[in-house]
Amino acid sequence: MATASAQRMRTSTRTRGALIDPGGIDLKMVARELEAVADYVTNIKREIGALRANELYRARLPVAHDELGNVVDATQSATNTIMAAAEEILGSAEQDFETYRTFVQHKVTQIFEACSFQDITGQRINKVVDELAQVEKRLSRFAAAVNMRDQAAQVDPEDAAKQARKDALLLNGPQTADLAVSQDDIDALFG
Amino acid sequence: MALDLKMPILVVDDYQTMVRIIRNLLKQLGFEDVDDASDGTAALAKLKEKKYGLVISDWNMEPMTGYELLRHVRSDEALRVTPFIMVTAESKTENVIAAKKAGVNNYIVKPFNAQTLKAKIEAVCGS
Repeated sequence: MATASAQRMRTSTRTRGALIDPGGIDLKMVARELEAVADYVTNIKREIGALRANELYRARLPVAHDELGNVVDATQSATNTIMAAAEEILGSAEQDFETYRTFVQHKVTQIFEACSFQDITGQRINKVVDELAQVEKRLSRFAAAVNMRDQAAQVDPEDAAKQARKDALLLNGPQTADLAVSQDDIDALFG
Repeated sequence: MALDLKMPILVVDDYQTMVRIIRNLLKQLGFEDVDDASDGTAALAKLKEKKYGLVISDWNMEPMTGYELLRHVRSDEALRVTPFIMVTAESKTENVIAAKKAGVNNYIVKPFNAQTLKAKIEAVCGS
């Protein structure tokens, strides 16, 4: 087919100012379209380069993953420390007031120390937010540049199965304050 | 309102910290017989071994969710009257309505306090 097309182009003639081949194809228009396709491909190559996908998945996303893992660990560790201290205070059978007071002060100090996790986790979460903002910025620029449309056929089957389970079992997770129903509203539903 | 502090309570949550929090709150309220399970499947096994006066369950767990556990409990002749309180971060109205339709006795959204837990237990189990 390519050979036939090339043959038509070679045998083309100029008619009324346009380069028309005997088969009636406007070769100028074809050339313009090919040029547009070439520009589009060049643009996509440039945008793919700007996406820096390797950097995203080798550096930025692992950082976000690790930081969030650290946040979970730090939160859990602090919670356990705080709860253990509180449980020891509640479970104390100490009869002497001064000894009890010293014991409680010591445990309360442990609780204060454990609460310092919030500063660190706040900083870690800010790092994750920065990394994700970069990912979002690049993906959104790329999607706009190549006029990308999502295709249902390209949905990851594992992700689709997870989503189907979430939909069927109403696994919506925590909501933002404007979407969450309040305890008072729930109580009203239960009369 | 009078509560039977000796009634066995089953706490179902996959997050051990939350189990510990609820256990401590129940202990503060005076309940002595508290067991726990990490998901609906484990909870069903315990419910078939022992008669519980109350189930306090999270919603989002693997492999069996609290919502599925609730439906199992309500469809099981031997378990259907067991009081069931959902304690969950699932805070969309559709979740509350679905749980109510499935037969939940009360619904608490996380985070919650001891007073709310106590009030709901009293509303469901108080005589």
